[in-house]
Amino acid sequence: MNHPKLADLFNEDEKRVDWHDKALWFVRHKRDLSVHQVQGWETLRNYGRAIKAHTLSNLDAYLEEFESNALENGVQVHWAVNAEEHNEIVHKILDEHKAKKVVKSKSMLTEECHLNPFLESKGIEVIDTDLGERIVQLAKEPPSHIVLPAIHKDRHEVDALFQEHLGTEPCDGNPQYLTNEARKHLREKFIEADAAITGVNFAIAETGEFVVCTNEGNADMGAHLAPVHIACMGVEKIIPKREHLGVFLRLLARSATGQPITTYSSHFKKPREGAKMHIVIVDNGRSEQLGRPDFRASLHCIRCGACMNTCPIYRRSGGHSYNATIPGPIGSILSPGKDLTKHSDLPFASTLCGSCSDVCPVKIDIHTQLYKWRQIITKEVKQPFVKKQSMKLMGKLFANPKQFKISGKIARFALKNLPKKIINAKPNVWGKSRDLPTGQKKSFDDWYKNRQKHGE
Amino acid sequence: MASKEDILSKIKANKPDFIELPDMDFSVFDDRKPILEEFIKKVELAGGSIFEVVSIDDVLDKVSSLFPDAKQNYAALNNSEHFNTLNLENVKQAQDLERLDVLVLESDLGVAENGAVWIDDKQLPLRVLPFITKHLVFVLEKNKVVGFMHEAYQKLNLPETGFGVFISGPSKTADIEQSLVLGAHGALSLTVLLV
Repeated sequence: MNHPKLADLFNEDEKRVDWHDKALWFVRHKRDLSVHQVQGWETLRNYGRAIKAHTLSNLDAYLEEFESNALENGVQVHWAVNAEEHNEIVHKILDEHKAKKVVKSKSMLTEECHLNPFLESKGIEVIDTDLGERIVQLAKEPPSHIVLPAIHKDRHEVDALFQEHLGTEPCDGNPQYLTNEARKHLREKFIEADAAITGVNFAIAETGEFVVCTNEGNADMGAHLAPVHIACMGVEKIIPKREHLGVFLRLLARSATGQPITTYSSHFKKPREGAKMHIVIVDNGRSEQLGRPDFRASLHCIRCGACMNTCPIYRRSGGHSYNATIPGPIGSILSPGKDLTKHSDLPFASTLCGSCSDVCPVKIDIHTQLYKWRQIITKEVKQPFVKKQSMKLMGKLFANPKQFKISGKIARFALKNLPKKIINAKPNVWGKSRDLPTGQKKSFDDWYKNRQKHGE
Repeated sequence: MASKEDILSKIKANKPDFIELPDMDFSVFDDRKPILEEFIKKVELAGGSIFEVVSIDDVLDKVSSLFPDAKQNYAALNNSEHFNTLNLENVKQAQDLERLDVLVLESDLGVAENGAVWIDDKQLPLRVLPFITKHLVFVLEKNKVVGFMHEAYQKLNLPETGFGVFISGPSKTADIEQSLVLGAHGALSLTVLLV
């Protein structure tokens, strides 16, 4: 199903959509309050963008620098061309340690690679430990937001899920009780775990260390207890120097939730005594995206989710409607690079209002890239017959002033005189959930000419 | 190794022409807010508590008065033998740490703009301690607080550190209908004692 159809499904529950819309807008508002307190915020964004642009222009050298420093720190480094190789590498490491129980903290990369089902098929238990991710894991769903994975679920659904899977008491969706039960349940998992998998927010070439940011502390609980820690990162997570963390940690949480920093910003450099640490560096299409000048800036993304919170389409269609690992505006410029045909609907899931670009902490020109993907998609992917024909018709109409004038007249007459039933009939998708404006007496052209003549 | 060569050669072929690193002038961020006041504000904003104590000798008394019901305590401070009920040398497995009520650590870096406190392997007898404890207490000298993250990283020139973390407030989540709950997986409360 494509985005409009999945969005329709989400919109069947109007109250839910309204809540979703408002909740995300509230997060966007918190972001505003937070960034307005930062002197020089725009300069900070410029620095973030410039550091990322520089890094991409020297990415191969920084990756090698990172690897050699990590090796020196006693960390083992692995390289994966694609998702399959990533999964094989992770499985091999787990196998070598005879690990059967794995705790995982949030990592969009492992979602992208579908690591969980792969490991489960090999008889390994994988527990997502971020509360939101655990909720969607129990519901057998993918996350619908990269920072708020269970934002599409209400408290009663979580209550029901926990009763079924964790044996909790009915609590009318009390978040305090449910969170506390999840804490107990996951505490056990942390203590039993044979290995911990985490994502990576930033990897520092200069030192070979990597930084993981969480609010819950789940990445640390996993990594410091288990005998093996595997950190999975895309090649674009590299930043050159430690001092650059000063820029990115100031940008990340403020953009994501409005917090000045996440509760935990953990800097992993060397394994603790007696434990092992592995890093898996993954390409999976990123080097190709790097080769597309119009779209390479999408690799600047630090995964804050601000573009989702602000997007009028995302807020009203829900993350699942995008049918992609990364939903929302940023996902809609990343996904077509992976599979143009499968994701050809996504760049159209936008009003091109540009709000995403305005809030992006590293100044990715998201809405421009959405527009550019549309140009490519209409050329390379077969478009629906009706859309193609109507575009052709519109093209002809706009190219012919006489015809344009006449059709305008007809349309104004129709809007004024025809009953709503006919105006909002099925072929007019614009009339589905809104009324069209009433027809004006004059066209703009008439009004303007008249004004020139009479000097109004 | 073939994959590494493959990835690096593709990146080399596809990357744009070299772009210089930006010249950064961190002075543009100076908002002239009073550092200590801002730090106190941000610790509280992050859900933490903050108190001033007269001297380092008063720290453990203050902690005992804040957590009168605590049974298992550990302070990584000098002269804390009477306070410590946990002997780290006897800890063999994670379960032994699970009942830790209060952990007291000394930090030498705080950040005003976000209320974060830095600790690393130097002050951490075991990495998992500040996460697994129920209540976390930091002792921090007032003159160790800097304004911004940029300044913090200028101070953090510790190549020998294997692990370090900025902690701002207690562990938290809002994953159930966006309602904030303190105490997700890590500490349920965080207290900063300024000396």
